[in-house]
Amino acid sequence: MLLYYLRLSALSYKRNPILSTLMVLAVAIGVGAYMVIYTLNYTMGGNPIPHKSSQLFHVQLDTGDPNLENDPPEQLTYLDATALIAASPAFRQTASSKFVAVVEPSNPELLPMITNNRGVFGDFFPMFDVPFLYGRGWDRDADDNLEQVVVLSRDMNERLYGGRDSVGENLIMDGLVYQVIGVLDDWTPVPKFYDVNNGPFDASEDIYTPWNHIVDKEFSRQGNTNCWKAIDGSGLQAFLNSECVWIQYWVELRDRNEEQAYMDFLNSYSAEQKNLGRFERPLNNGLFDVEEWMIEQEVLPDETRILSALAAMLLAVCLLNTIGLLLSKFLGKSGEIGVRQALGAHKGSLFIQHVIEAGFIGLIGGILGLGVAGLGLEGVKYLLGQDLLVTDWIQLNLPVAITTIVLAITATIIAGLYPIWRACNINPAIHLKTQ
Amino acid sequence: MLKMTDVCKVFRTELVETHALNHVSLQVDEGEFITITGPSGCGKTTFLNIAGLLETMTSGQYLLDGVDVSQLNDFKRAKLRNQKIGFIFQSFNLMPDLNLFDNIDVPLRYRGMPAAERRERIDKALESVGLFSRKKHLPAQLSGGQQQRVAIARALVGEPRFLLADEPTGNLDSNTARGVMELLQEINTAGTTIIMVTHDQELANQSPRNIHILDGRISNGTPAPQQETDKEAAPAVA
Amino acid sequence: MEIGPILRAMTRNKLGVVLIALQIAFTMTVMINAIFIINERNRLMARPSGMEEANLFHVSSIGFGDDFNEQIVTADDLAMIRQLPGVINASETNAIPVSSSGSSTGVRLVNDESQPSVGTAIYRSDEHILDTMNLELIAGENFTATDMRYRSESGATLAEKTIITRALAENLFPDVAINDVVGETLFMPGGTSIQITGIVERLQAPWPTSSLIERSMIVPEQFLDGNSLYLVRTEPGERDRVMSEIEELLIAQNDSRVLRGLSSLTETRADTYRLDSAMSSVLWVIIITLVFITCMGIVGLAVFGINRRRKQIGTRRALGATRFEILRHFMLENFLITSVGVVVGAALTIGFSIVLTTNFDMPAMAWYYTPLGMLSLLLIGQLAVLGPSRGAARIEPAMATRSV
Repeated sequence: MLLYYLRLSALSYKRNPILSTLMVLAVAIGVGAYMVIYTLNYTMGGNPIPHKSSQLFHVQLDTGDPNLENDPPEQLTYLDATALIAASPAFRQTASSKFVAVVEPSNPELLPMITNNRGVFGDFFPMFDVPFLYGRGWDRDADDNLEQVVVLSRDMNERLYGGRDSVGENLIMDGLVYQVIGVLDDWTPVPKFYDVNNGPFDASEDIYTPWNHIVDKEFSRQGNTNCWKAIDGSGLQAFLNSECVWIQYWVELRDRNEEQAYMDFLNSYSAEQKNLGRFERPLNNGLFDVEEWMIEQEVLPDETRILSALAAMLLAVCLLNTIGLLLSKFLGKSGEIGVRQALGAHKGSLFIQHVIEAGFIGLIGGILGLGVAGLGLEGVKYLLGQDLLVTDWIQLNLPVAITTIVLAITATIIAGLYPIWRACNINPAIHLKTQ
Repeated sequence: MLKMTDVCKVFRTELVETHALNHVSLQVDEGEFITITGPSGCGKTTFLNIAGLLETMTSGQYLLDGVDVSQLNDFKRAKLRNQKIGFIFQSFNLMPDLNLFDNIDVPLRYRGMPAAERRERIDKALESVGLFSRKKHLPAQLSGGQQQRVAIARALVGEPRFLLADEPTGNLDSNTARGVMELLQEINTAGTTIIMVTHDQELANQSPRNIHILDGRISNGTPAPQQETDKEAAPAVA
Repeated sequence: MEIGPILRAMTRNKLGVVLIALQIAFTMTVMINAIFIINERNRLMARPSGMEEANLFHVSSIGFGDDFNEQIVTADDLAMIRQLPGVINASETNAIPVSSSGSSTGVRLVNDESQPSVGTAIYRSDEHILDTMNLELIAGENFTATDMRYRSESGATLAEKTIITRALAENLFPDVAINDVVGETLFMPGGTSIQITGIVERLQAPWPTSSLIERSMIVPEQFLDGNSLYLVRTEPGERDRVMSEIEELLIAQNDSRVLRGLSSLTETRADTYRLDSAMSSVLWVIIITLVFITCMGIVGLAVFGINRRRKQIGTRRALGATRFEILRHFMLENFLITSVGVVVGAALTIGFSIVLTTNFDMPAMAWYYTPLGMLSLLLIGQLAVLGPSRGAARIEPAMATRSV
């Protein structure tokens, strides 16, 4: 019977091609536009590490200006980050900061290049499930002993070594010799949850090296640096002793108990520091898991949220349109409906017939909507340009495609409910006399 | 087989109450060919709609094959229409975007019949009205008389117990109309009870029993108690 | 005249009226708020930076190796660039307006850290920067070469003079005439004092969304951290040519450095405002799509309604209605339905605008947007229904007698 009704739907489409095409277009445009915005939100606001996002926590210590009542600083000072690392009570922990360096490739054909790098602790790789292509990360000893080791991104390995297994090679970075111990596979979490303060949609770094080198080798630090208090004196040591925040800090806590224990640790650390005259504001330390932190930091731009609302209204208009058109279409076949009733159709079978007809319109609208969504996403990519990493990630994947079709069919059937109800309740007697 | 007692149908709008049928009582027996006449608006079509279970009545009793149908819900009424009643309309009411085969297929679909049986029956029905060779044609490609023959085939394909015809020849020229009438008489002879609404007094005069409706009442409903002759239950489609 | 019968017909077809009216209401809500957002973005993008942007470009030089002397290399580079044909002037600076990246600081009128400070962007540059950016000096005087200070460690500024923007001057000294601000002293974080020696009309801070967008100060100082940012102003029409040659010339001068970020200011501006302009384009697409769909809805339902009433229209014509009266009937019908829509739409528009201002960083919408929106949708509705109405007016009176 389904096939029979589908055939009737196709015939009905052919009978009012203009009306039907208008409906299909309305559904396609409404659903397509909605899916463009949905995909943007889904990509930009998605959970980049769903399987353990609730075990990874961003650490916030309230070292802020006692004269202001603003939020605690997002990042940590050098004093605090090193103190937390020295205590290391969490299952895993890492400080992390960006720096740039000049790499002089061993291949004489390549010019020296500036690389975007990240100083991290060895825990960084297992914490964030960073995939390795070759080799591996480093351990705590390497951190403590300032071993001159690096892990390359897949892309950097491609540029420097043509993609071969470069583990064991020497790399000249700012004139210093580092040994390659690992090469990452593709790894570009979107949003870049582990550093949303320096561009949540920026590309991942080229080279990772033990964080302690940033200070020890005086690399050129990059990224957000905020100081509420003037630096006392000049020079690196004065900066390190200052209240300037520039360090991201993440811990992995496997369960509630560990979370509570870590919060207690932070609070007792704060108390200690208060005794030393720092942390002048009331206790307000923060532990945010990945999703909480991205919400707290408003990673999703205002633009996409406003667009979501507008796209929803666009979809609503398209569906209102569809309701009107379906009503016209169904009431236009009153005669046929009357005949069918005379020939033995009960309301149930009429209902199913028209639900399938609406669903059929929705299906075609959905397929066309996929095209609209694809075009729309290409347009958005073009508008955003290639600078934003997110453009590589904006794409129609299978779940989005299925959602589009399902949304189109469901929305059209919902839009069709009233017209269908009217169609099923047509009084056959009126429409049989004349057609 | 059809027995109406005191059937009333009242249409109410905000302003007026119209008694389309006013205490109509009637008995129709198996194998009868009844014509119904009356001026426009007298309630002929309402009578036919109620007899065909397309409309509910306001009050009264209606027994179809001994079953009281006034209390049946939409689903059961649809089933009865599908199995026991065939309809023929003045304007044929073929579905314009279905070909002849598919048009005749419609009632069988609602009966949920297997495909092979449906095909067999439809082919037979088309043959019986002489249009087998045109089964892939659309209604618009046929003449009026041919269209009405398709409509008759569609009404009979489900082998109904009786046939309700609302001015079946009203849209046809007299020659074609005669052909259609002959077809209906053949069907009646084969055992199907027929109730036909008509404007044509000549046709009414030819029928063994004519009922005249005036202002919602049967004015000369001649009961036909003598009708006991032909009771053999022949297949509806000859 | 015929409003009565049309209104009565509308109450009999409530759903049709509600559907079209709701579409118009939503369309209006989206359209008006989107146009407001677009205008708002355009206004932000149109704010002048104070610079002569069309002829500017910039490039970064990052030195490496132990024998790289940034102070000497920078001086040599700038001297070389300034004598290039087509170049008007060049400067080294720590930041560039519109680029989204730079430094800020807080200044005070008194040397007391417990007092609130006034936030401002700080540009560390040289005595050429006014000419390079082509800023308008409205009071005081430019720096000289002897004002330049060089330092290699982070910490308080060493410069003794500063040129500030009019906006910063007015913020710090609201009651002082602009000429008298010259000569005043400011205190930097850490207590260093610095004297205001000049005032420029306008120089934007580097961050377009910052609240201190118009507050900037320039100090004659170079921070020797191995990273030099050159800003170059060329003769009109010479920019692209100079840009295409600059990297080779600089590398020829000294090759123990890496160049990056070569970009005209036009490109930099486009990058900075990319999200805003993308937003505007997306909104335009949404508006056009919506208006299109709503028009299709109006046309579709009008055509359907007219087809259903062909015989009735023919009868009206047969009874003496002129073509114009038929046309007017359908135009009037649409006008009444659209009126319902725009009244609901006005409420929705204002409601949505309030949601936007309370939840997002958006100013309130000017009052005239809503009535203009109502007017334009009434017009759009009339235009959409014009075609079908003309079709209706062309129905022959003979239709009355023709069977369908």
